[in-house]
Amino acid sequence: MMNKRISQIVKIAFWIIVIAFFAWTFANDLFRPIVEEFRTFTNLLIQHITIVLISGLLAIFLSIPLGIFVTREKFRKSEFWIVNIANLGQTIPSLAVLALAMGFLGIGIKAAIVALFIYSLLPILQNTIAGIQSVDENMKDAARGMGLTPAQILWQIELPNAASSIIAGIRTAIVINIGTAALAYLIGGGGLGAWIFTGIRLFDNSFLISGAVPVTLLAILIDYLFRLMQKLLVPKGLRLAEEAQKS
Amino acid sequence: MIEFKNVSKVYNGGVKAIDNVNFKVENGEFVILIGPSGCGKTTLLRMVNQLEDISEGDIILNNTSVKQSNKIEMRRKIGYVIQSNGLFPNMTIEKNVMIVPDLLGWDRKKQQDRFNYLMELIGLHPDEYRKRYPHELSGGQQQRVGVARALAADPPVMLMDEPFGALDPIIRTKLQEEFLQIQKEVNKTILFVSHDIDEAVKMGDKVALLRGGKMMQYDYPSEILHHPANDFVSEFVGQDRVLKSTSLYSVKDLVDEVSLDSYHEADSAQPVNEDTSLRIVISKLLNQEADQLVVEDKQGNKKGKLTLELVEKFLHKEVKETPNR
Repeated sequence: MMNKRISQIVKIAFWIIVIAFFAWTFANDLFRPIVEEFRTFTNLLIQHITIVLISGLLAIFLSIPLGIFVTREKFRKSEFWIVNIANLGQTIPSLAVLALAMGFLGIGIKAAIVALFIYSLLPILQNTIAGIQSVDENMKDAARGMGLTPAQILWQIELPNAASSIIAGIRTAIVINIGTAALAYLIGGGGLGAWIFTGIRLFDNSFLISGAVPVTLLAILIDYLFRLMQKLLVPKGLRLAEEAQKS
Repeated sequence: MIEFKNVSKVYNGGVKAIDNVNFKVENGEFVILIGPSGCGKTTLLRMVNQLEDISEGDIILNNTSVKQSNKIEMRRKIGYVIQSNGLFPNMTIEKNVMIVPDLLGWDRKKQQDRFNYLMELIGLHPDEYRKRYPHELSGGQQQRVGVARALAADPPVMLMDEPFGALDPIIRTKLQEEFLQIQKEVNKTILFVSHDIDEAVKMGDKVALLRGGKMMQYDYPSEILHHPANDFVSEFVGQDRVLKSTSLYSVKDLVDEVSLDSYHEADSAQPVNEDTSLRIVISKLLNQEADQLVVEDKQGNKKGKLTLELVEKFLHKEVKETPNR
């Protein structure tokens, strides 16, 4: 009862803050730049999405196969090295990764994509490994004993049962990426960071807000889309089991 | 037929998990592998479908060496049931049960017929469970589905690793009895791991008792109980082994061996069916439900009176003579 009431109060407070914030922005006409410079805005938005999309896809296409690779019986020993290398990418501050990438690739969108790609490897890799490793040994043993090939065990047993965890990893990586991509402006990568930093320098709230709010909304939207995708990709039996456990 | 020929399993470092084991499981025979924890019974079972390598010796499965057969193809011809049922939560019951037929490329119609047949066999309604998922079933139902899945492609051989071990006693007893009925119908060659001597005596045509990777005794349950080969076996089966052996016999076995006391209408006595196990008879006689029982055949004809003395006489005879049944 108590918990329910607290969560209700928090919810109401949250929406009041959101409404107050938007009331303030509209009252002060803080979204003016989006209307006045709509072409620039769409260009920046497209740049932003491009950076996130390409770096994210690259990270997915590298991390998932890598996660599958290190969880194979034969290559289990490689897990330590690969995870630690990926860890390294994560422990360095995002700004430093961007600076390093710029050092090698020069100024521009390429360096930003590479930096964000490195930055999103770890969450996906870790969740892939954790997801596959959490698949019940007995289940795999039964599958082996019934004569499924290693490839069939991977596709029919391991990946479906790890799907929830893997998608959660991708979601985390991409959502963080959307925020971090705002820094791409600093190395000439463009994106909505351009307006945010302009706003900071000129003490102009309208540019700051017109850059920051769309980034936030984009992150929320993508997060929501991934939750939908989780519903589509995670096998029904597992989703039902999870829901049954919760209730 | 499964034949173990000088089978040994040596781990790195020279520990012998299985030490020169020799025995044969004939077609249609139900053999229980039993022994204390770490005796190697599960390892021995898993060597048959090559989930464990054989270090020395060989296992001959239906005239082929398992070492030389294609592991994947061979496993599809062996039913495999494990303690924690190992059902796949991402698949419906139908997909779970039909996984091996699916791998073997059976057509849709054949799969459906087989699914219906198997579900009827294990006592679950096919249409009610077809589209459901494992987590929606109780432990006992899940284990039944596990058995159905192992039977799916009609393999001649079944390997069962403590299939009923994780169930509560009531459900376990029920499933044991159900499985014996199923075995009567399907008549598989079965190797079954257990740690419960009562289960072994009740279920097995033969019992293989292992310790430290060595075969202690391989024989009929009555032999193991009445004539333990060594001190370990007699300790393992327990001092109440004669009592345990009573579940091997039914009233009918007794009637065949010793003559019943004559029965008069005036005597007050409880009726007992010919198929009743002697263990239940003794229990009934001991707890004073009745001093004597009246044996009835299936038609309800009263054949005679049964008393504790007669049971004693019968058991003495069995223990001494122990004809191989």
